[in-house]
Amino acid sequence: MDHTPSTVAMNFGPQRTQLHLEVNGQSRPVDVEPRTTLLDVLREQLDLTGAKRACDRGECGACTVLVDDQPMYACHLLALQVRMRKIVTIEGLAEREDFRRLLEAFVTNDAGQCGFCTPGFVVAAYAALRRFPEADAQQLRWELVGHICRCNAYENIVAAVSDAGRRR
Amino acid sequence: MEQDLAVVGVAVPRLGLAEKVRGQARYTADLKRPGMLYGRVLRSPHAHARIVHLDTAEAERVPGVHAVLTHQDVPQRRIDADLLPLEPLLRFVGDEVALVAAESEVIAEDALRLIRVEYEVLPAVFDAEEGLQPGAPSVHPQGNLVGGKTLVVERGSVAQGFAEAAQVFEETFHTQMHAPVGMETRAALAEWDGDRLTVWKTSRAVHASDRQTLARVLGLPLEQVRVICPNMGGGFGNKDEGRLAVLVALLARKAGRPVRIEYSRAEEFVAGRNRQEAHMRLKIGIQPDGTPTAIDLHATMNAGAFVASGMNVTRRVGQGALYLYTCPNARFEGMTVYTNRPAGGSFRGLGAPLGHFALEVLMDQIAAALGVDPLDYRLQHHVTSAGQPGQRRTPPDQVLPDEPVEGGVPFSSNGMRECLLAGAERIGWRRRRQPNGAGTGMLRRGLGLAMGIYKGGTGREGEAEVRITPDGRVQVAVGGVDVGQGSTTILAQIAAEALGVPIDRINVVMADTGRTPPAHVTAGSSTTITTGAAVKLAAEDAKRQLLALVDGLPQAFDPEVAPVRREDIVGTARVTSGSNAYLTNAFAAHFAEVEVDIRNGRIRVLRYVAAHDSGRIVHPRLAENQVSGGVLQFLGITLREELYLDKHRGVTLNANFLEHKSTSIVDFPPIEVLFPAGPDPVGPYGAKALGEPPVVPVLAAVANAVANATGVWLRDVPFTPQRVLQAIHEHGKGVR
Repeated sequence: MDHTPSTVAMNFGPQRTQLHLEVNGQSRPVDVEPRTTLLDVLREQLDLTGAKRACDRGECGACTVLVDDQPMYACHLLALQVRMRKIVTIEGLAEREDFRRLLEAFVTNDAGQCGFCTPGFVVAAYAALRRFPEADAQQLRWELVGHICRCNAYENIVAAVSDAGRRR
Repeated sequence: MEQDLAVVGVAVPRLGLAEKVRGQARYTADLKRPGMLYGRVLRSPHAHARIVHLDTAEAERVPGVHAVLTHQDVPQRRIDADLLPLEPLLRFVGDEVALVAAESEVIAEDALRLIRVEYEVLPAVFDAEEGLQPGAPSVHPQGNLVGGKTLVVERGSVAQGFAEAAQVFEETFHTQMHAPVGMETRAALAEWDGDRLTVWKTSRAVHASDRQTLARVLGLPLEQVRVICPNMGGGFGNKDEGRLAVLVALLARKAGRPVRIEYSRAEEFVAGRNRQEAHMRLKIGIQPDGTPTAIDLHATMNAGAFVASGMNVTRRVGQGALYLYTCPNARFEGMTVYTNRPAGGSFRGLGAPLGHFALEVLMDQIAAALGVDPLDYRLQHHVTSAGQPGQRRTPPDQVLPDEPVEGGVPFSSNGMRECLLAGAERIGWRRRRQPNGAGTGMLRRGLGLAMGIYKGGTGREGEAEVRITPDGRVQVAVGGVDVGQGSTTILAQIAAEALGVPIDRINVVMADTGRTPPAHVTAGSSTTITTGAAVKLAAEDAKRQLLALVDGLPQAFDPEVAPVRREDIVGTARVTSGSNAYLTNAFAAHFAEVEVDIRNGRIRVLRYVAAHDSGRIVHPRLAENQVSGGVLQFLGITLREELYLDKHRGVTLNANFLEHKSTSIVDFPPIEVLFPAGPDPVGPYGAKALGEPPVVPVLAAVANAVANATGVWLRDVPFTPQRVLQAIHEHGKGVR
């Protein structure tokens, strides 16, 4: 090793560690630094790119995943924080039988344009419909308030999620 | 020209949406290549500075770093007239200084901090007016006035028009700098195979901008450069500049491995392209009955450090003033000024919403001064199908140019009247509108309207290839980009219609220079009208070839039952959209109902009706989504969104969604979208432009509604509570 002063100075904090995360029902080995976010691990190491990195600071919801069934911003969680917790991404949700109604409702209602925010909205909608199966459009709107869509396809998204709720 | 159409006009599912919902759709930053490194950019902390000394040794020693790129490593060939890949002179806070490629993003960021740069800080200028003063800091050697002169376009003589006027009205207007910031930040991935280069990039111009620029700046033959834009997470007229493509390619070449750069959100705000701040002065002369005799608009546009597509932005500011009202004398003057702000560029609607804001507010004031209902005033004076008075200057055998100023040219269709009437009916204008400022109490409601005109798509070249394979599948190849607006679906519909096959037989390939014919930048609301026309002709060409092969066979062409030969049948077409005889423009009338709380200055939008003439609507649901999205996007800009700059150092203060105040799902009511007009005789299947027109009238519609509620017209965007209160106060229209 070249221990010049500058590389010693580069020793930022604790070292990399290997750990296992439970993602979409599988235990996946990952290699992280303490500062590595859950989002970066999902996207760069596990190639689960459905969660998008749009703001990387907990403002827009495009990176939303389920952690123990709760919708959470993956950019705001460190990988080290979610050991022993069940992580489900949009790719995992899309395999489920009860996802179909959301898929159909989003397509029927044209609930997206560029699609970049869509997976985040869909994960949050899935969680909202599970938690509040009887929710009306107004309540669902507030369940999705933590998500930004710059194409502003908002009304169609509300229509789609309400529609999916009715399709139970 | 009513036709029986099977696929055009039908709401088929948006192509690709299911993949997006399932999280399977890949965007540029989702892509990885074997051995790929991550690039990050070191950005200038100064608004104007010269690099005196640059030391990258420490950064290069960081384990995991493979390359550092500075101005000393790059070819000094221009990307744009005012832009080099990297140079020692920095022109805004956020300008590119150097790049690092490393095995992870965090390593690259660590290394950026170890690049030692000594700057000579230079005086900077942030205001366009100040930039024009003698002795102002020079942003570029050729001077701060872009092109060295004011853009002037005039029909008739405004001097004569004002001399004939009974009354002259004049006001100044201001619109802010704000950022388009699609959800996807800019990203690019470069991979070299020997001296062949492939770049995946967020781009709305893979052919016209990125591929050409890369070949020229890197000194490569065009055929060795391939540029691909996978799914794009929002364009809004942005993401067309070539600098990122060039830098990622150079970094990858130096590192000897593929490199991907993904902008952070803050970088997207600062180093993306924003909408230029505009100062406008508008003067209108009228006859005693209100007929305009002269319209004269002057705009000073703050272009920031690089002009990018800024001249087009400026030109579009004049569009409303020159065309919206029948008037023999109209002039637009635009000055585009370099400053040390983040660079401006094109953003949905370019300058058109800004000029329309000034025009439609002043026209509302004129109607009020005359005691005429603003709806009646517009019904009487908006430009009709006849076009503007005057003599045609373009030779009759030539396709009318992009934005002519001349009179004597009719519109191919003009549904403005239908839009005004349908919108007024929907919002209940005649029944519900009170005189301006008639309301009392704390919460005052008002109705306002504004019109919009937008030249979209004509005057451009479009190319398409339609390939029918022996198994009866159809592949449509065009070089444009589906920036999220849904052009993949629209073009598939047009091909299916022309061929007479079900849409599920069609596959559309876009935005890959290796697989598609050349294309212009996806801009100016041109895809349906230009590329759509080319797709229609190419499909008809393919159908003709196939029918010739099955000559004598009964009736309809069916590719599935006609596998007459093993090779593909390839139809091609190249068109210049538009016509010799007509101007083709989209029209709109918007109606807003607002409630102004005069205690705190808050404006609530209660209802919003957007009536549009975009010719035949190829896909009703996509079109509604586009209009609704455009209006909401601009309601955010009308009331809140602004990019704030520290006026002393030029630092962008709110480069994030929350502080730039992005519109959320609970802010505005559903937009009521109407398409009251019929098909156009020029566009493919009668379609006209749609992408940008929805944003054009929004600022003025809200301003006029606020004026109806309070009696005060706001002339400074965004309409923040503070400005509303101040305006009400100054005019003595407060609590009474």
